[in-house]
Amino acid sequence: MPTNLNFEMARSLVGFTVLLLFLSICESASFFQPISDSHRSAAVELFSPDHGSFKSLEETYEALRTFDVLGIEKKPDVTATACRLVSETVGSSSSTLKDLFYALKANSIVKCKINDKAYQGIITRLNAAVDGASSLPDFYYSVGGLLLVKGSKGDVHLADADGIFRLVKAFRQSDGRWRFSSNSPESSAFAAGIALETLAGVVSFASPELDQSLISTLNSDISKLFDSIEKYDDGALYFDDKLVDGHDHQGPLATTSSVVRGLTVFAAVTDERLNIPSNKILGLANFFLGIGVPGDAKDLFNQMDSLACLESNRVSIPLILSLPSTVLSVTKEDSLQVNVNTVLGSNAPPLTVKLVGVFTSGSKAASLVESQELVFDDGTGMYNLNNLPKSIDVGSYTFVFEIVLHEPEHEKIYVTGGQKKVPIFASGLIKIENAEIAVLDSDLGSIETQKKLDLAGQNAVSLSANHLQKLRVSFKLTTPHGLAFKPHQALLKLRHESKVEHIFVVGNSGKQFEIVLNFLGLVEKFFYLSGRYDIELAVGDAVMENSLLRAIGHIELDLPEPPEKATRPPPQPVDPYSRYGPKAEITHIFRAPEKRPPKELSLAFLGLTFLPLLGFLIGLLRLGVNLKNFPSNTVPATFATLFHVSIGAVLSLYVLFWLKLDLFQTLKLLGFLGVILVLVGHRVLSHLAATSAKLKSA
Amino acid sequence: MGKLWLICIASISILLPFLCNAFSPETPTDRRVLVLLDDFAIMSSHSLYFNALKSRGFDLEFKLADDPKIALQRYGQYLYDALILFCPSVERFGGSIDVAAIVNFVDSGHDLIVAADVNASDLIREVGTECGVDFDEDPSAMVIDHIGYAVSGTEGDHTLIASDDFIKSDVILGGKKIEAPILFRGIGHAVSPANSLVLKVLSASPSAYSANPKSKLSTPPPLTGSAISLVSIVQARNNARLLITGSLSMFSNRFFRSGVQKAGSQTKHEKSGNEQFLTEISKWIFHERGHLKAVNVKHHRVGETDEPALYRINDELEYAVEIYEWSGTSWEPYVANDVQLQFYMMSPYVLKTLSSDKKGLYSTSFKVPDVYGVFQFKVEHQKLGYTSLSLSKQIPVRPYRHNEYERFIPAAYPYYGAAFSMMAGFFIFSFAHLYSK
Repeated sequence: MPTNLNFEMARSLVGFTVLLLFLSICESASFFQPISDSHRSAAVELFSPDHGSFKSLEETYEALRTFDVLGIEKKPDVTATACRLVSETVGSSSSTLKDLFYALKANSIVKCKINDKAYQGIITRLNAAVDGASSLPDFYYSVGGLLLVKGSKGDVHLADADGIFRLVKAFRQSDGRWRFSSNSPESSAFAAGIALETLAGVVSFASPELDQSLISTLNSDISKLFDSIEKYDDGALYFDDKLVDGHDHQGPLATTSSVVRGLTVFAAVTDERLNIPSNKILGLANFFLGIGVPGDAKDLFNQMDSLACLESNRVSIPLILSLPSTVLSVTKEDSLQVNVNTVLGSNAPPLTVKLVGVFTSGSKAASLVESQELVFDDGTGMYNLNNLPKSIDVGSYTFVFEIVLHEPEHEKIYVTGGQKKVPIFASGLIKIENAEIAVLDSDLGSIETQKKLDLAGQNAVSLSANHLQKLRVSFKLTTPHGLAFKPHQALLKLRHESKVEHIFVVGNSGKQFEIVLNFLGLVEKFFYLSGRYDIELAVGDAVMENSLLRAIGHIELDLPEPPEKATRPPPQPVDPYSRYGPKAEITHIFRAPEKRPPKELSLAFLGLTFLPLLGFLIGLLRLGVNLKNFPSNTVPATFATLFHVSIGAVLSLYVLFWLKLDLFQTLKLLGFLGVILVLVGHRVLSHLAATSAKLKSA
Repeated sequence: MGKLWLICIASISILLPFLCNAFSPETPTDRRVLVLLDDFAIMSSHSLYFNALKSRGFDLEFKLADDPKIALQRYGQYLYDALILFCPSVERFGGSIDVAAIVNFVDSGHDLIVAADVNASDLIREVGTECGVDFDEDPSAMVIDHIGYAVSGTEGDHTLIASDDFIKSDVILGGKKIEAPILFRGIGHAVSPANSLVLKVLSASPSAYSANPKSKLSTPPPLTGSAISLVSIVQARNNARLLITGSLSMFSNRFFRSGVQKAGSQTKHEKSGNEQFLTEISKWIFHERGHLKAVNVKHHRVGETDEPALYRINDELEYAVEIYEWSGTSWEPYVANDVQLQFYMMSPYVLKTLSSDKKGLYSTSFKVPDVYGVFQFKVEHQKLGYTSLSLSKQIPVRPYRHNEYERFIPAAYPYYGAAFSMMAGFFIFSFAHLYSK
């Protein structure tokens, strides 16, 4: 398991290095800015108590300390709740040692009223804790607590300081790191910081009578610890623990912060001067400043607390050189301003800032300027160089500064870090002249049409050319000092109606920029697309204040027809807005109903269909039809009646069939009626036949 | 007490598989997000963004990208609902994660946020390619804009861009207009024109180009102008949502808090638009906006309430569907005026815009065409930024039955009359023929 974790930690370190690299890319300039207002607003945001109080006493202390360091006005309610929490913890005998320690720490900032009785109780508790302590944190909290009580009450003593010193020192490892307890095998720089702080407390209790040899061995331990310091490319130094238990791992920031705290506190109490190169202190300061504004409350506290420790330490106080602006305009004659502050942004002692040299970025040529001193401005507290040297034209440069302290004894107190390289961009307005666009005939190079361009204003030239001609665009760029200027971006863009784009880099010879597009060689690249091409020219550079992107106009190109196997132009992106949206509605067109005659006409023809029947009836009456042959005897008369009733029934059945019955019902009834009809009909017809036969024979 | 615990554990173990699925309309909440980092320091330097996510109820789990123990799924179940890759320099993921695993993760409907950066590793570029975007191949190229850069005293190389060319979509960027430009520093990418699922959310200005700021430009840059996408989103066909950007620093606290002034503009914004922009877009990515569901699809004949098994041609029918949008906490009625219904057989016979009652109910009525066959009710709602709704329901349409036609046609009266006069004539004739003397 531990090997796995170590592996992980090692990799996290690699990752952190990558992050710092990334941060340094972000900062672009590899110098560090002291603490600013953004830290203050971040602190107020990060240390915002939930419902008036913080989660723990530790967090309360961290908030109070951060506000204190940043000089933020403490909100009265925060102070009041902190005091209530402090007196609760201090008054109760069941509070843990850690809470007690942080309560006393918070109290040292907010200065609550704690009565003597409570103090006596604390002193007894802490003394007992010191006696019973077996691990480094126990010593840290109890000795630290006693020291804090001493700070506010005065008459506190530590019995057997010498013995405690030796006990704590037993946790020391040979490489300058410390262990948390005698049981844990792993040593850490984080523990070293805690141990130093604890020992500083012990020393301040028993300063005169302590064995000086103990302190000097400790000094060499600190030197050993600083041998294991790690380094980033930009000069920032930090401590990191690789061999610790996973859950105790603190990360580089907390570890470095712990070491810095321990170191500065220890340096403050010993008379001996610690043997640490001052550049290492500057590297540590750079590490804390390089983090920027942390997004985590704990990180912000660690950063602020460490910077506050560095601000007034006895080893060496780092001075930070920073520039409010590294982009200077040659045209506007900006003055070069340099700030020298301590890490928290307070004023530096009297000193002179020298500009040692100016070098063009990326070249190894000699310095462009003589070494000169910057003028101190009392009003702003900055060091100014009012006019940029004449030899500085637009471009990117590296300025080299040096800080010279006025009083020699300050050399021992402050660390300036020697020469400081700062990248500076000198920007300016670039003069654009002789801008022209022309269509040339290919063979002779004679000019067919030529138009002047005003690249500062609007242009709308309209040209036309065929594939045997050439297009030439030319212009001239000069810097404010009249030298040639080569911008990073000098692009000519031709865009066809179908949005196919072609981009060309405009080359230069000295000040003159020129591009000639020979369409004969470009027809394939242009996918044989004839038609209107819009022309755009983009000229821009980081140091060019008047970078421009101009639509010059358009050219009508007449290119030959594409051959069979010509490459097709690439597909162009579809506008996302037109891809969606409602579709046009569709309604179904129904079949038109059949055309029918008007109802009146049908009724008229219905009437006509009854006319033949009427004629038939009239005809019968005219012929004198009678029923004299109707059988007079009862039996035949009955059969005749039945016969006609049956015929009537069959006809009615047909009517019913038309109205409602279906074929099967009809056939069933018809079969039944048919049988009756046949039987009855046969009787009637045979009777009639017999009667007529009798008549004939008679 | 012990019993209660037992019940708790049992219910958790039963629910666990459901808690870790992709966004689904049934269980839209409970979202676990895996954040892969190059370094744990990003947790601190990008904490505002992470806190914004945590405050919306997301459970973020931070891991190093090369942690050998990371995994997206275990026993066939995905452990997370979304993945955030804030590890631009990782060369190989640890554990069982690789590009194929990430693609499968997205293919099963999970969301992904990828932030690349300058010197992005081939692995992250490959993830980008799988998502449908191509980062500039030059490893040290950055997006440079000499006209639309952010004014800054200490940044002189114009790679810090202030961009305000947003996609016009309230559902993606929220209803509130983003006033301040977005700070961006990183690499640009191009979206493939053939891919209709990728959308550019934040484009570079026409004067931008992608190149190495430190070296001379001798060949035309591969990406120029508005074709450079700074931030792109993808909505896959399975409604998985992806965000791809070429800048990790745009998520950082420094950019969130930094003021911004675009070159050439006099207005200085106190705060960049990054926080608003990225928070709003994360709401879209995590389906808190623009995720639709359709329920209660109903259709019936006018005047009836029951759904018939089939319609007859020329029936009048009513169709209604309820559409809701997920708001992060509840399903809210979806209000739009362009939801359309198709009555479809090979091609739409009827295409009608549904009318909305502003409470989520969309309805319409129309007459069934006089063509019989098997039709479909289709609602294909595709709108920029919204998940696509695709409902279809099959319904047969039959012709008239023989007895459903018109019975007594006036135009046929002469024929009826002729037949009946003929029958009456026959009846009378039978008397006249038999009994007349």
